[in-house]
This record gives sequence, structure tokens and C-alpha cells, in this order.
Amino acid sequence: MAGLKTIIVLSFILAIGFLLVILSAALYKNFLTLLVVATYVIAPIPNWLCGRASSQDDFMDSGSSSIVELGRFMTGFLVVMGVALPVVLAHCDLIRPEAMIMSIIGGLLIYSTIISFTMFFHQEEEF
Amino acid sequence: MADISGHRLFKFPKPQWMNSANTRTAGVYAAGALFSIALFVFIDAATFSKSHLNGSDFHVNFVDWIPGIFSVLGMLVINSIDKSRLSADNFSYSGDGVAWKARVVLFMGFAAMAGGLAGGVTVLVLKYYVREASWPALWFGVGNVVANALIMLSSVVLWVSQNMEDDYTYNLAL
Repeated sequence: MAGLKTIIVLSFILAIGFLLVILSAALYKNFLTLLVVATYVIAPIPNWLCGRASSQDDFMDSGSSSIVELGRFMTGFLVVMGVALPVVLAHCDLIRPEAMIMSIIGGLLIYSTIISFTMFFHQEEEF
Repeated sequence: MADISGHRLFKFPKPQWMNSANTRTAGVYAAGALFSIALFVFIDAATFSKSHLNGSDFHVNFVDWIPGIFSVLGMLVINSIDKSRLSADNFSYSGDGVAWKARVVLFMGFAAMAGGLAGGVTVLVLKYYVREASWPALWFGVGNVVANALIMLSSVVLWVSQNMEDDYTYNLAL
């Protein structure tokens, strides 16, 4: 259902996101903003692990398992961390404000690509 | 739905979206987001104290971290407790005093969290306000209070969304 066009558009968005983050690091000779990429790559992992850990439960326990909620808590933590980290770095004058804006936009693009990729191709894994 | 609303206490009914599973999920995500903001307010104060922008004599020591550590410990304790154990004495299958033990542990969690917030205010007043810190250094104390309040808010959101789950399963069982 999700065709070739979706893959191409998503890969373009991912490339633009990486371009913005790398440019924000290399343009100002300050590579602290690359931490944003690591944060957003790690961000979906707790949901995957905790969802896999609770999938053996029966129907009545689905959705109310507390390990799934732990995974969601950590995902929310990591997503906000990806925005808060450049803001803290810029506030303490470790990076420039322009680098902060570019790395935040680039990080959000990377994360939205990961999320929409898993949303588009989630059904095909089950077959 | 009408027979349920006959038992309620207040004039206005609880809105319908409060019981949906999506609201519960969003509540857990929001709790994580609030906790992240709190932690980074702490880290911002500590980093700003170490950076060259801080020209004053005030610095963030270990003393500033103690209220935050207590708040985080209280949040861990509160949210580790199984909520169904709080009313376990109403049923006969549980052992003696499970609900009593759960309430004692919960009280210690709430005490640690309230102590964290009070300790944040104490650090703000005693370490910064009394010694007449001006604004960039005053942020260390204000950020401490803000971070502790955000940890408390995150814990409240998590608690409410976990209790929402019980109502949801209750409605499902009906």
C-alpha cells in the first residue's frame, strides 16, 4: 500500500535532516550538536523493546502492562531530550544559536522520518 | 451509561475523553516529557554555572543536587507501587496488612517528593536570595525550584493516567 513514492520522499526527508544536523556541526566547527542524532536514533528503541517484551500477554493485559508504559515514558523523555539538549548547549554558549535552530529542525525531521517509516511499514511485518 | 452516572457525586460528569486509551497513552508520554524538561533545567543550571557566562562567585555544588535526587527517589517509589494493593484490605485473599504496608511506602514516597520541593526552595532562599545573588546567578536557585516542581507535576500526570487505566478497564468489564 505504501509505495515506492513514500520511500523516496522519506529518504529525502531523512537526508535533509542529516544534512541540517551535520551542517550545524561543521559550519561552526563545533561537533556537540551531533548528539541530537544519537538521541533521536535511540528514541524509538524503548518502545520496540518494551512492546516486544509484553507481547506474550493475553488480551486482557494488553494496553495495561506497566512495562509498555515504562517504554512510553522513556520515549517521551528521549524525544524532549533531543529538543532540550541544543537549547541547553546554546544557552550556555557552547554552540551558536543558529546551530541550535538547525540541529533542532534536523533532529525533528529525522525523528518524524523514523516514526512515519514504522507507521507505513508496520502492517507488512506481521505477514 | 445512565445507570453509572446515577452514582456520581458531582454535578458535571467526567468528560468522555478522560477514559479513552489514547488519553492514557498521551498522559504517559507527557509525563516523560515533563520529567525530561525537569532534568534539563537542572543540567542547564549546572552547565551555566560552569560556563564563562557566569561571572559571579556563585556556583552549583552537590548541595543543589540533593533536592532533585530526593524528588526523583520519591517519584520512583510512588510509581513503583501497584495501585491495586492500596485497597487490598477490602478483599480477603491478600495477606494481613498489605494495604497498610503499601500506604507506608507511599507516604515515604510523597514525603521524599515534598521534601525535594521544600529543599529546592530552601536552597533558593538560603544559598542565593539571602546572599543577594543577581539574576544570572539567581537562575541556579530558581531553576532548582522549577525542576523540582516539574518532577512533581510529571509524577502527578503519571499517577492520574495510571488511575485512568483502571476506570477504563472497569468500563470495559461492564
